[in-house]
Order: sequence, then structure tokens, then C-alpha cells
Amino acid sequence: MKKLIILITILALAACKSDSKNEQLDLKNASWQQIETEAQGKTVNMMMWAGDPKINDYMKNYVATAVKGKYDIDLEISSGQGNTIVQLLMTEMQAGKDGNVDMMWINGETFYQLRQIDGLYGPFVDRLPNSQYVDLDNPFIGKDFQEPIEGMEAPWGNVQMTLIYDSEKTDQLPQSREELLAFAKANPNKFTFDNQFTGLTFMKALLIDIAGGEQALAGDFNEEKYGKYSKELWAYLKKLKPYLWKNGETFPEDVAQMHQLFASGELLMTMSNNDAEVDNKINEGLFPESARAYVPEFGTIQNSHYLGIAKNAVDKAAAMAVINFMISPEAQLKKQNPEVWGDGTVLNLDKLPRDFKAKFQNIPARKYAPKRSEIQENALQELAPEYMIRLAEDFRKEIING
Amino acid sequence: MIKKLSIATFILIAAVPVLLGLGYALMYSLGLTGILSEGFTTTHWEETLSTATFWKSLGFSLYIALVVMLISLFFSLWIVISWIKQLNKGSLSYITYLPLAFPAIVMAFFSFQLLSKSGFISRMVYKMGWIDSLEQFPDWTNDVFGISIIFSLCLLITPFFIILYSNLYQNERIAELKALAITLGAKPSQVIFKVIVPILLKKSAFTIMLFVIFIMGTYEIPLLLGRQNPSMLSVFIVQKLQKFNLADIPQAYAIAVIYILLIASIIALVYKTRPTFFNFSSSS
Repeated sequence: MKKLIILITILALAACKSDSKNEQLDLKNASWQQIETEAQGKTVNMMMWAGDPKINDYMKNYVATAVKGKYDIDLEISSGQGNTIVQLLMTEMQAGKDGNVDMMWINGETFYQLRQIDGLYGPFVDRLPNSQYVDLDNPFIGKDFQEPIEGMEAPWGNVQMTLIYDSEKTDQLPQSREELLAFAKANPNKFTFDNQFTGLTFMKALLIDIAGGEQALAGDFNEEKYGKYSKELWAYLKKLKPYLWKNGETFPEDVAQMHQLFASGELLMTMSNNDAEVDNKINEGLFPESARAYVPEFGTIQNSHYLGIAKNAVDKAAAMAVINFMISPEAQLKKQNPEVWGDGTVLNLDKLPRDFKAKFQNIPARKYAPKRSEIQENALQELAPEYMIRLAEDFRKEIING
Repeated sequence: MIKKLSIATFILIAAVPVLLGLGYALMYSLGLTGILSEGFTTTHWEETLSTATFWKSLGFSLYIALVVMLISLFFSLWIVISWIKQLNKGSLSYITYLPLAFPAIVMAFFSFQLLSKSGFISRMVYKMGWIDSLEQFPDWTNDVFGISIIFSLCLLITPFFIILYSNLYQNERIAELKALAITLGAKPSQVIFKVIVPILLKKSAFTIMLFVIFIMGTYEIPLLLGRQNPSMLSVFIVQKLQKFNLADIPQAYAIAVIYILLIASIIALVYKTRPTFFNFSSSS
């Protein structure tokens, strides 16, 4: 039996032994041409949210095909977002292993967490030739949750939260907190928000409104301000709670469930962090053609999504080549087309070659979502990540358990 | 030699990963590992044990598991005793076993479409004029009693017990015992409640206990059909593990370890006080 235990221990230890690191090009000093040569014929593993057929189609049938043709890179896409990525990297880093994921689609809270664990490779953005076109001076793009990106992630797309309603059922759209409360009172059990990222983003907009507008909570997390304004937020939500779906005693687990409830008529409104979502969901047949989206006057959060490279990525050069393609004018143009994805570009059109600028300006308009230029004036910047952490905790204490 | 090798393979595949996982979770919960760990601490254990939500979650999981088990046992015993011959062939066996092919998440969606306020039953009742609007339909999903969770889990688990009991019925020669009891003058109700049910329950006691533990740990169904408060334990753990605050991860591991220790203690207690409970060699 002792021999058996020793054998098992040796096998377990052997399984934990870290892989040897591959010899790689010195990317910090290499020219872009050398990086492209290094990228040739490699396999890049990308982890991303894979919950939207249009986005999946764009990635698999456009981006993967393009990088295969351009660099002979095999782009392998796996499903995973946010905490899945963070947990995976944490485990790999603890085990001292090379990464299974080279690059990933990340949003603000993931960027914050990945920087907490020092899981990102970089800075690398200024090494990408196409970064010259990126609108990094735009605070909605150059800052992620109030944190300057400092070349540690490449901006990829830009979206703004919208509330989605059925124009045949709702004509009086609530524009302020007071009107929203009146709307909920007039339509009990027909309004809610989810218990995930989208719901928290909605609450952040309410918090900013309570605090006095866009600049009130700008900058680093402020405990004093949070304490003061969050109290008002919980007081407001407690007034709203009895009129929410299921009397506010529970909340949809995610936005997909909210969409289902909206489509079946159980809710009068749903919401999305992607302002083009209403077009996508009508085209998919989930929402009725009378569905529309709007941004209330108190504003909604506009944020960007990014591409990062894992610190323990095996093929960083290939990941850089893929990211460079994904922020190219041609890939961004394709992505912004509402029939493809409808994702807002992160490029500064004034920096683009004239023909591309014209092409961007001639992208077919979205049919059901409001124009970006119309909702931009009510766009709010993301808050520092600690606000989200605290809101998530306190929402549970004050509203769910309260 | 082959026997030893088989035991070694079993330990390597089944026991070692579980023990390593438990050890890792324990170390994480005590701050002994993890990238953001700041050294040994019992804070996460203290926080967990003093949080009402944890105990509420544990109680809710136990409530769901017991109710599901009671309902599933009732229906599976009833079906087996009433239709033992038909269960072995024909459309009844097909219909009975069909839910076994459903993954949990599919069953959850099915229940949601069936039982929600805008679901199939609600619309039927509305069409028949029994309610004036869909809102009047009672809350059967995301409700405080976990009705749709219980419904979905019963649909998944009852067929399993039907299979188990129909096999036990044959193996334990229940038909012969039934005939004997009738010959000795037992009434039909006595045959059922004094002979058949006690034998089947006794032979399946260990399986029932394992299923109670299994139900307590179920995830997808309560995630979609349950509430955030009270939530089942698995949902509560994942909330802690995968939300935005990385500092909550050790607490998630602490909850998981406490839950495993509680279950292990109960099993150990049963083993010590009633060792025959684990003697299930003739039960299948």
C-alpha cells in the first residue's frame, strides 16, 4: 500500500510540473516585420463571450479566415468571459504553466481584475501599426473604468447601454428617475433589471444621476461620495422595488432571461449594453418589429471592449498580429455594419485614409436602434471598478436580502 | 496483482483528484494559496459561519432536496407498484424514461416556458377565461418556495428511481412475496405498505441519501428558476466565486469546504451508528 501511495504522489507531482518555456522573439525590440514573420503559421487561442450568433459568425467566418489567409494563423476560439478568464489565468500562473489562452476579449471589470493579478502582457498596443487609427484620446476609449489603458489592452469596439421597449405597447418613455418610478407604478411587475453586469451598469447610471451628473464621480473611487450617494440610490430602489418584476424580490439572472421575458410580454422593457442589440434581436426574430431602443435623459454608460494578451501566452507575436488585424479599418468597418454585428468602431475617422472614412460614413443605418450621434450626448463614462464591486455587494445586502 | 492495479487506477482517477481539490480549496480558504493571498487567516471561515445567508442557503438546499426526494419517491413507487408489467415494454416505458435524456439546463428552460407567468399553462388558463390577465397567474418560477425547481428536479429524478425500483422489484422477488402475503390473508393496502414499500425503501436507502446530496449540489436548474435570496448552495458559491470581487474567492472555497465537511460528517455518523445502511450489495 505504501508503494502505491508513493507511486500516486510521484504521478501527481509529475502532472503538476511546469512546462518548459518556449524560446521566443524579443517582442519589445523586434520590428513589426519580425513580429509578422514570427506569427506565421502559429495557432492563436482566443477566449471570448460566445453568446451571440452574429458575433460568432463575424469571428469565425471573417476574422479567422482573414488571419489564416494573411498570416497562416489558426485562430481557435473558445467560450469564456470575465471571471472564467481571470480564474483560468490565476490557476495557470500559480501552476507556472504556459497559457492555454493567448488573447481574450475583455471588459472593464476583467481588465481591473487581470491587472490585480498581473495577468496581462504589455504594453503592446503602440507596437501595432493599426493603433495609429485608434481614437485613444477619446476618454470612452482610452480609459477603461476610469483607468488609462496604458497599452495593456487594445480597444476593439464601443457601445452604449440602451433601454429596449415595444413601441406598440409603450409610448411614454421614462426620461428621469421620477418618471421611471411613475412608469413602474403604472405598470407593476413589468420592469426590472438583471443581477449581472447589465443591471449593475444600469445602477451605475442611476448613481451618477443621483450624484449630480457625469463628472460627479469621475476619477478614483471615493468612499465618502459612494457612501453618500449609494444611500440615496438604495432609498430610490426600495421605493421602486414593490413595482418591479416579481415585486423586486428576485431579479433575472442575466440579460438573456430579460430578453425572453420581454419577448413573451412579461416585461415592458429590457436593456442591453450594446446599442445595436435591438436590431440584432429583431433580425433574429426574438423581438417584435415594433421594438425600439432609447437612452433616457439621465444617461446611460458608454464603454468600450478590448483585446488583451495573456502574460503567459505562448504565441504573443501571433496574438499581436491577430489584434492588429482586428483593429484595422477593414475589420472595424465590417464589424460596424448592422447586418454583420453593428458594433461601434474605436477608430478616429479623421485619422483614416479618405476612402475608408467615406466607407464608414456610408455604412447602412441601423433600422431600429437610435443613431450613435443622438445618444452620445447622454453618454456617461464608466466609473472606477471599485464602484461596481461595492454596488454588487450592497445591492445584495440592501435590495435582494433587504 | 490485477486487483491491486485496479484499486490503484481507481484511487488515481476517482479519489486523488477529489482529495487534491479539497486540499486546494481548504488552503485557499485559509489564505495559504492564491495569487492575492496575504498569508494564513481564518477570516473567511469566520465570515462564512457568521453569515445568515449561508445558513439560509444551506437550509433552502436541504428543503428542496427533501421535498424533491419525497415527491419522486412517491411517484416512482406508485408507478412501479401500479404498472410494473407495462414498464418493461411499450410506450409507457418510453414516456417514463424520456426525461432522462434531458440535460438539466434544457429541463430548466422547459419548465420556465411551461410554468412562468407568460408560459404555456398561464396562456392556456387565460384562453379558457379562468384569469383576466397573465399577471394573475401565480408565481411558479423564481418563486420563494422553489416550485419550478422542485418540478424540474422531480421530472429528472423520478425516472431514475422508476428504473431502480422496477429492477429491485424483480431482484427482490416482490411478486412472489406479494402472492405469499395475499395467500396469508393480507389486504391489498397491507401488501403495499407492509411488504412492498418497506422492502424497496430499505434496499434503496443509501441511493436515496446520495440523491439528497446530489440534489443539494445541483446548479443549472436553481440558477435559472430560483431566486437570489434564498438561493441554493451551489448558486451561492458560484456567486461568490465568479462575481466581481476577487477577494470573495477564498470565502467561496470556505463555503464549499464547510459543505463537504458537513456532508462527510453526516455520512460518517450514519456509517458509525448504522453500518448496515451501507450494505447495498444486494440492492441492485
